[in-house]
Amino acid sequence: MNCYLYDGTADGLLSAIAWILEEEPDPEKVKLSERKDTLFEEGFTISTDATQAESLFFRLKQQAPDAAHTLYSFMLAEKEGLETSLLHYVFLAFKHGDKVNGYITHSAVRDIVHIAKKTGRELHRMKGLLRFEKLQDGAYLAKMEPDYNIIHPLAFHFSRRLRAQHWFLYDVKRRTAARWNNGSLQFGGIEQFTTPALSEDEKKVQALWLAFFKTIAIPDRKNPRLQKSNMPMKYWKYLVEKQEE
Amino acid sequence: MLTKLQILSGAARYDASCASSGSKREGPSTGTGNTSSSGICHSWSDDGRCISLLKILLSNDCIYDCAYCVNRSTNPVERASFTAREVVDLTLEFYRRNYIEGLFLSSAVMKSPDHTMECMVRVAETLRTEEQFGGYIHMKIIPGCNSELVRKAGLYADRISVNIELPSQASLQRLAPQKLKSAILEPMALIGREISSSLVERKASRKAPRFAPAGQSTQMIIGASPETDFQILSLSQGLYKKMNLKRVYYSAYVPVTDDSRLPVLSAPPLLREHRLYQADWLLRFYGFTADEILSDDAPHLDETFDPKTAWALRHPEFFPVEVNRADYATLLRVPGIGVLSAKRIVSARRFSLITPDGLKKIGVVIKRAKYFITCSGKSFEKPDQQPALIRQRLLLSERTDASVSTISHQLVLPGLYT
Repeated sequence: MNCYLYDGTADGLLSAIAWILEEEPDPEKVKLSERKDTLFEEGFTISTDATQAESLFFRLKQQAPDAAHTLYSFMLAEKEGLETSLLHYVFLAFKHGDKVNGYITHSAVRDIVHIAKKTGRELHRMKGLLRFEKLQDGAYLAKMEPDYNIIHPLAFHFSRRLRAQHWFLYDVKRRTAARWNNGSLQFGGIEQFTTPALSEDEKKVQALWLAFFKTIAIPDRKNPRLQKSNMPMKYWKYLVEKQEE
Repeated sequence: MLTKLQILSGAARYDASCASSGSKREGPSTGTGNTSSSGICHSWSDDGRCISLLKILLSNDCIYDCAYCVNRSTNPVERASFTAREVVDLTLEFYRRNYIEGLFLSSAVMKSPDHTMECMVRVAETLRTEEQFGGYIHMKIIPGCNSELVRKAGLYADRISVNIELPSQASLQRLAPQKLKSAILEPMALIGREISSSLVERKASRKAPRFAPAGQSTQMIIGASPETDFQILSLSQGLYKKMNLKRVYYSAYVPVTDDSRLPVLSAPPLLREHRLYQADWLLRFYGFTADEILSDDAPHLDETFDPKTAWALRHPEFFPVEVNRADYATLLRVPGIGVLSAKRIVSARRFSLITPDGLKKIGVVIKRAKYFITCSGKSFEKPDQQPALIRQRLLLSERTDASVSTISHQLVLPGLYT
């Protein structure tokens, strides 16, 4: 069995996969992992080539758009240790096309689809659970701490929804931010974050929302367990309606 | 404003529908909002139900006196009404902060059905035209209002619904004497016709206006009147087939008034509501018909088993099903195999035979399915077990669920329905 290594970046991973698919007669028998420079590490390091990575993704998108979407979602998870599975998955995707996602009895497909589903689920959840606050200058700011790096697709969602608004998304854990203003979307890192002042009516609107949240529940049907399973507590930190608990 | 909101959202909480799905609209570039076809939930309230829409009444000042309703005219509750502007501003403020997916607007009947409907349509009109709001709007139709207003509502809203309230004419007469069955069914039929003609027009031209693109739904109260589950399911089936409804919602009756015409319940019949929803799913996604699920001899859903398992136990001749060969429709009838696992089985079979281990990974609930399937000819359990035995063993395996202890029986006072 041949072992290969890559440098740990996303581009490195994809270009390594592209290289192996090109050169190896049977990629299902190949192992791929991140280079850690330990003493007993074995394997041949494949150098990173961003254009190779891009062209791999582009080709996959043309041949199997669903699989390309799965690959994209998987990469957002920033998951380590599944490189070999991803290699096998991409190999199978080129072989079978979009039908590959139905091949869940195959362990590599199952691993990748499983992780991709998780990020997809969190992305969908955040579309609902993100909370904007109005700032003094009229812009809106939303802070979040998602498990996966979903700021790109999330910002894209809001760029189609809150078009006339000036807003920011801020991923507190990763210190990355997205900004939408006058029809253009920008991404960047933030070194030091200072919480800006809120607009005057912000607290009033929040109080209205809290009141609505409380009265809309039917008291006879109280079910905190169901509430928690639908809306896990890890997301409560930035929810206006869950501040007092 | 705060107390008004509390009164009018508290009064709206018994409306079950909170769907924000089924409609896909790109938002206007200068306005606010779009809709997503999958729907998005924005929060979950303390009763575990999702919140995706700002669900409020325009007013709770009702001229009707329906026995089951909090807002009936003889009930001494605090009354309040919003102006159109107030609802519009509230919706926009909430929407901009991503609290909600849109507006769910209902109302008590003020003065007359026409007057009420006019006020409601004005809210939607202001949102759509003045504010260029592209989010989701669900509007209730007030039975008995002018059909022109129904048409207008359908052009502004994504989903419109007429509540059927009670499952039969007789119950309607007893508990809601001012509401007529015809006044409920007529707008439903009208909406159905408008939706289908709008779909035809939009095929011809994409510029044709959309009429309630997310379809129409309705709601009925369960446990406030003596209808059997069979009557209710047959009614739902008729609504789905003849009126083309997207959803029928069932709402367990929560005692909000002590009227002598209503049954006395120890708790809302939540398990019955749950079983009805399960049966409703069988009607819509599993290819069952109402008279397969229930019959005149057994008019109520089994409380211990879900309707599909109950059907399977009554039809031992249908099983076992071979998972590697059975078609999609047959797979769907196996307890423990849902829509998702049936689809997965069909697509995974293209690559290789499915093994028992693979079945588990696909997501089939083996502890329920194992009595009803074979895998490449091999069965999980001893073949040809008596249904009574399977029944017992299924019961034992489900016993660990906490749900068994929460059964609430409906207590009916003798002589109430005479």
